[in-house]
Amino acid sequence: MKSAAFDYVKPKALQEALSLLEQGGDDVQLIAGGQTLLATLNMRLSEPTVLIDITDIAELKGISVVGNSLRIGALVTHTEIEDSELVAKHAPLLKAAAPHIAHRAIRNLGTWGGSLAYGDPAAEWPACSLTLRATMIIHGPAGERRISAKDFFIDLYTTSLEPDEILVATEIPLADKHEVFYFHELARRHGDYAVAGLAALAQKQGDVLTNCAFTFFSVGATPMMATKAQDLVNGQTLSAELIAKAVAEARNEIDAIADITNSAEAKQHLIGVLLERGLKHMVA
Amino acid sequence: MELNGEQLISAPIPDVWKGLNDIDVLAKSIPGCEEINRISPDEIHAKVMFKIGPVRARFAGKLLLSDVVPDQSCSMAFEGSGGAAGFAKGKSRVELKQAEGGTLVSYTTEASIGGKLGQIGGRLISASAKKIADDFFQRFAKELGGETVALESDAGGK
Repeated sequence: MKSAAFDYVKPKALQEALSLLEQGGDDVQLIAGGQTLLATLNMRLSEPTVLIDITDIAELKGISVVGNSLRIGALVTHTEIEDSELVAKHAPLLKAAAPHIAHRAIRNLGTWGGSLAYGDPAAEWPACSLTLRATMIIHGPAGERRISAKDFFIDLYTTSLEPDEILVATEIPLADKHEVFYFHELARRHGDYAVAGLAALAQKQGDVLTNCAFTFFSVGATPMMATKAQDLVNGQTLSAELIAKAVAEARNEIDAIADITNSAEAKQHLIGVLLERGLKHMVA
Repeated sequence: MELNGEQLISAPIPDVWKGLNDIDVLAKSIPGCEEINRISPDEIHAKVMFKIGPVRARFAGKLLLSDVVPDQSCSMAFEGSGGAAGFAKGKSRVELKQAEGGTLVSYTTEASIGGKLGQIGGRLISASAKKIADDFFQRFAKELGGETVALESDAGGK
């Protein structure tokens, strides 16, 4: 199938894109990598009248270190993240997660900002941004605003982005030498959406983990943090007993939703499997 | 797909019942509702713009009410077609019960979704349905001047 007819504009400046977005109202749609949107258009599940291609806007590009943060522009592709030395050094969790995103051809085009703004609960980047305590930098008619990842993802495919706003970049605190992480997803085949996944991060000193962040994805309407399990683990010697407690707590506090092939119970079980592996890996 | 849930609405049973049967209240409560008409006491036709994630499809559908016991319960059968996007049909049962702080609305729904929406959207249909139900009850409670207290709802793939 082919998409319905639409108009296409490619602004060079962020301000121009913002005013196009404001004028267009409900019928305009931003396009960056197009790895989700184009399929939707071709299937005619969505028929916007205007596409605003933002890929020429310089302000949305590039990876850089700004002060104590790693700034990743919204237009940075999954491949760029996978191959970036800055990412490998300052946010190694992202480098580990990138190969799990679909396949190389898709990663070459799909973007960091596109994935975050779309807010798919099974996607890797929303979960990683929560775990890494990222700050979203958003521009709209009123100028710039910043919001933490934990307040950004509201519900299924729903973020705090307003229809007249554009996600410009995110900032992630730089990793230090005590940082440990674990990223894994359980999927039938590589490149499929995970049945359940975990993006975990902590500070490690000996057998003690602190500042833990365990974000599960593909289990509910948004990526979900196991805050009670984190509190259990924080600052305690990580014994087999504590791991078992944390696993039980995570299974209890994350309210999994079934999908078409996997029951809520199966997902709940996998949450514990992932956390156990993650904790053992991070403390090893 | 199955969707079952309970919502506590801080309004008395007769108000909730009246609201559920008032197409003006429904029009304001159903997310994306563009048009709603009562064809007969038991039949309602509606046009709804279904907007979730990547999907924006306009559904035209009808709702048939049966086993109506005022202030207590009713059953409904529904079917809708979203043109190129696909179709949905199913049945639902709604019961109202007096509860502390208002009215407890419990619902059970069985639905099947076909066409492209079913093929591609399958992965997240349950979560989408739950979100739409939650949105509906939130708006509905607001229309009645109350608020909802989410109890539990669970969506199961089937």
